[in-house]
Amino acid sequence: MKKILVPVKMVLDANARPRVRADETGIDLSGMRMSINPFCEIAVEEALRLKEAGQAEEVVIVSIGPAKAQDTLRQALAMGADRALLIQTDETVEPLAVAKLLHAVVMDEPPDLVILGKQAIDDDCNQTGQMLAALLGWPQATFASAIRAEEGRLLVTREIDAGLQTLSLPLPAIVTTDLRLNEPRHCALPNIMKARKKPLTIRMPADYGVDVRRRLKVLAVRPPSGRKPGIKVATASELVGDLRAAGLV
Amino acid sequence: MPSYKAPVEDMMFVLKDVLGAGQVFSAIPAYADIDTDVVENVLEEAGRFCSEILQPLNMSGDAEGCRLENGVVRTPKGFAQAYAAFSDAGWGGLSASPDHGGQGLPRTLQILVDEMLSASNLSFGLFPGLTRGAYEAIEAHGDEALKALYLPKMIAGTWTGAMALTEAGAGSDLGMLKATAVPRGDGSYTVTGSKIFISSGDHDMAENVIHLVLARLPDAPAGTKGISLFLCPKYLVDRDGTPGARNAISVGALEHKMGIHAQPTCVMNYDGCRGWLVGEAHRGLAAMFTMMNAERLFVGVQGLGVADASYQTAATYARERLQGRATGVAGTAPIIAHPDVRRMLLSMLSFIEAGRALSLFTALEMDKEKCHPDPEIRRASGGLVALLTPVIKAALTDFGFEAAVLGQQVLGGHGYIREWGQEQFVRDARIAMIYEGTNGIQAQDLVLRKLPLDGGRPVRMFLGLIRDTLEQADGIAEAASQCVAVREALAHLDQVTARLIDGDLVASDERNAAATDYLRLFALVTFGWLWLRMTLTVLNMGANANAHARRKIAVGRFFADRILPQAGALARQIGAGGAPIMALATENF
Amino acid sequence: MTILLIADHDNRVLSDATGRALTALCAMDDAVHILVAGHRAGPVAESAARLCGAGRIILADDAAFAHGLAEPLAALVVSLAGDYRAIAAPATSGGKDVLPRVAALLDVMQVSDVVRIVSPDTFERPIYAGNAVAVVQSTDEKKLLTIRTSAFAAAGTIDAAVPIEEVRAPHGVWLARFEGETLSSRDRPDLASARVVVSGGRALGSAEKFQDVLGPLAERLHAAIGASRAAVDAGYAPNDLQVGQTGKVVAPDLYIALGISGAIQHLAGMKDSKIIVAINKDEDAPIFQVADYGIVGDLFEIVPELEKALG
Repeated sequence: MKKILVPVKMVLDANARPRVRADETGIDLSGMRMSINPFCEIAVEEALRLKEAGQAEEVVIVSIGPAKAQDTLRQALAMGADRALLIQTDETVEPLAVAKLLHAVVMDEPPDLVILGKQAIDDDCNQTGQMLAALLGWPQATFASAIRAEEGRLLVTREIDAGLQTLSLPLPAIVTTDLRLNEPRHCALPNIMKARKKPLTIRMPADYGVDVRRRLKVLAVRPPSGRKPGIKVATASELVGDLRAAGLV
Repeated sequence: MPSYKAPVEDMMFVLKDVLGAGQVFSAIPAYADIDTDVVENVLEEAGRFCSEILQPLNMSGDAEGCRLENGVVRTPKGFAQAYAAFSDAGWGGLSASPDHGGQGLPRTLQILVDEMLSASNLSFGLFPGLTRGAYEAIEAHGDEALKALYLPKMIAGTWTGAMALTEAGAGSDLGMLKATAVPRGDGSYTVTGSKIFISSGDHDMAENVIHLVLARLPDAPAGTKGISLFLCPKYLVDRDGTPGARNAISVGALEHKMGIHAQPTCVMNYDGCRGWLVGEAHRGLAAMFTMMNAERLFVGVQGLGVADASYQTAATYARERLQGRATGVAGTAPIIAHPDVRRMLLSMLSFIEAGRALSLFTALEMDKEKCHPDPEIRRASGGLVALLTPVIKAALTDFGFEAAVLGQQVLGGHGYIREWGQEQFVRDARIAMIYEGTNGIQAQDLVLRKLPLDGGRPVRMFLGLIRDTLEQADGIAEAASQCVAVREALAHLDQVTARLIDGDLVASDERNAAATDYLRLFALVTFGWLWLRMTLTVLNMGANANAHARRKIAVGRFFADRILPQAGALARQIGAGGAPIMALATENF
Repeated sequence: MTILLIADHDNRVLSDATGRALTALCAMDDAVHILVAGHRAGPVAESAARLCGAGRIILADDAAFAHGLAEPLAALVVSLAGDYRAIAAPATSGGKDVLPRVAALLDVMQVSDVVRIVSPDTFERPIYAGNAVAVVQSTDEKKLLTIRTSAFAAAGTIDAAVPIEEVRAPHGVWLARFEGETLSSRDRPDLASARVVVSGGRALGSAEKFQDVLGPLAERLHAAIGASRAAVDAGYAPNDLQVGQTGKVVAPDLYIALGISGAIQHLAGMKDSKIIVAINKDEDAPIFQVADYGIVGDLFEIVPELEKALG
């Protein structure tokens, strides 16, 4: 492989608690800590491991988001990626439009492999990789828990509901990552400093002639409905009595 | 299980918004390309390392402790791997000179990372901390050959450092030390003596330990003017830097101590080992003391870091723990609803965030002192650093310990048992009040040496900064009550300071008797000033202030209204003079 | 106007998820056709034909569909898309894999993980790991939906089967090749659809104790076994047992959490269970905040007592 492209998304930090805005227009992100989407970080790590194993020559990172997403790109560069591209917009870009922008980026580059996170932990859509594969007519292996490059093909183990499935893909291909694919590295300090000097290009969605208008109207965002407070019971037999009364056992 | 999240947001607020570190760095050629974004990147990553690698080893390291096996110190499970990861990631060389493989980043960043290290795992943090102290001493005073041979490996973390000062008969008064060094005629020396309390004295985490040992040459004058500094490696190093034969250095014992159990504090025996002179003969103490400001700032933030770790657990616990009823809460209330619990948490928080601001203010002054192109600014900054160093060392560790006790108290019985880690913070925080010059010594340093320093210029300048801020705050309604509190506390400090410098308390016994209370008073006023600065910063941000910034106003107000009035009592205590202390005859103790 | 539902199955058995998705779609007040794409999947089509609410079954039987791979399946669905006003799949690993591919080919923005159908164009879906619910309106002419099946009841069955219509697989070159699979044992009900789930956390201490404690209780309750991420990460349970934000989302009638503290990520995967029972020695564990019944104590003592009380 010559080149691996890894799209990444900046999201509300996984440890931060999302606060629903009182006017139901969405989640209040002002002043909240933003981080690289954990699945995307796993994607970056996997691409770097393939490169370090001599399976790829270059790892390119792309993100679509606000100017602040440069931090996310710098982090990927500090992990070891070679260069980065930001398609800068303050608008929410839906997975379909993201896939179209990425399609255009793939045409420009073009990579032999695109590794994406299986879903972003903000909108939880789980769509972009599959959509990009469709637009490109490339094979896809979603929810990867292991990737091996072999004789010009990629062996990907996928986490499916029934267990594990292994697919063999010719290149170019799309892979999306599941949680257990790898454990992302800690960035070394010299690499953080070096990352500042690595190339980071900024473009606008309009540069790609892609229609990014939203197809879904968000009518409201609400907190989930809570549960009724429960009770503590002292003994197992008391519990079984209650469950029997409720017809559960 | 406790967890720790590095307070990067608060660090950036203080650095960027309150202290304008961006402009400070851009005025210093060596740091001209350090923008606040890269500072944030570095802090985020350092915080991640501390939370994910070091913090999980804190409780297990405490429980297991270090062991001495056949003369070799074994560190607790996981420490060696964590240290290798730490060194591989280059953290040991953050502020070290790029000439020897360091990253050359400002002291200000170093001090923030030190806080995180201390918060996540104080025992671990001392390894790189001591190594840095040692390599900075070698860099400042060693000859080129020593530097070339030792610095790159110490900065890379391949070798660690230890500072061997204290002896059984020479603690706070190093002039009494007895270790000797005799020239061997080949440029090296034979060093003999026994040292106690040697942090990181020996361990199994790195391939060599470089000891900096204070000892007397045969022709040395008595007292502190006859002490020289020697570099004694555990393994002798050949010309290309490969460690070879074992030097005559051995571990006499591991100290059994109250806290920092994962840190090997050793009794070290130097039994005619080979050493090399660092700096000039008889100037060893002076050489060591050029490192002192940085070392004491490091120890100060240890108190701060441990306090923050304790606070994070206490705050989380108080939000989740349901006990008792409280106004405005249906059913059983989380204990954070109770005013007394909030008082404890706010006491901790208002100290931690002001302490952090003070450590950063001082670290920036240290960067200016070292690197600023303008000699006047270097001189002024140097004065402020000298003045504030004992305040930081003592106040941050005193308040840090008090905060750790409060953090334990919030958890009640759960704070006393081991499970939540709060009792460990109490034990670990305690050492920082003692080593690197006890806090009593710090107070003496402030009153006897730093107030009169340079004709009183630094202290006048510093108190002037406080007055400047009060002037800026004048007429700003939202800051008015804080201003009143700070002005009142400052008046107490002014009055006591005048009495100590050239008033009725100028006699050395009077100053000695006043010192500890005076340092605390000085620190309280300084914290009040920094809270006012933070408040003004937030008010200036207006609508741009985020939730973190806005929350500062309430915490600052708590400090001004509920803590700062202690300044009045302290001023009265000091004003009572030394007589009540000296009245009881020694035989009646 | 009609909806096309892509069935979830393993060529032998139609999954419970399909019936639940059908329940959801029937609320859109349309006829629903169910597509069974598989290999020698006749019995699956016959089961689907007896689901209450199914209007017609479309069976595409071809070796290309043997393993549910996205490329041929997406091509098939696109070839059938025609006049359907909506195309849906249960949000199983198969549905999540294929439907976005279909959506992109049809230039439609998919609505994932629908938990409530408000109107034919408006849906509720959880975001931020269930920390918020978004109400979204699709402006695309065709709606593409994955249905979070834990939010809907299973469809009933009827005696009179609806017609099964066979269609051919579209021609194409499929690039991804199936190499093999490791399926988890099937001697217990499927985790995603079990009526009762018994889940274990890190407090179990080892893989052996995990089995020893959970096995007999699950046996007795005919329950599926689940695990927290901490237990999976510690190697006590295989990863397909993980319940949580990034694992399986379940909503059984009874969920019994043993030694699970209740990290937000875990709660995201089970908090829609009808009744939650928590047994934990830490009385402050967050799991108790969502539990209907809690017992504070040592699970190694309480679980045997529970089995005894169950008789």
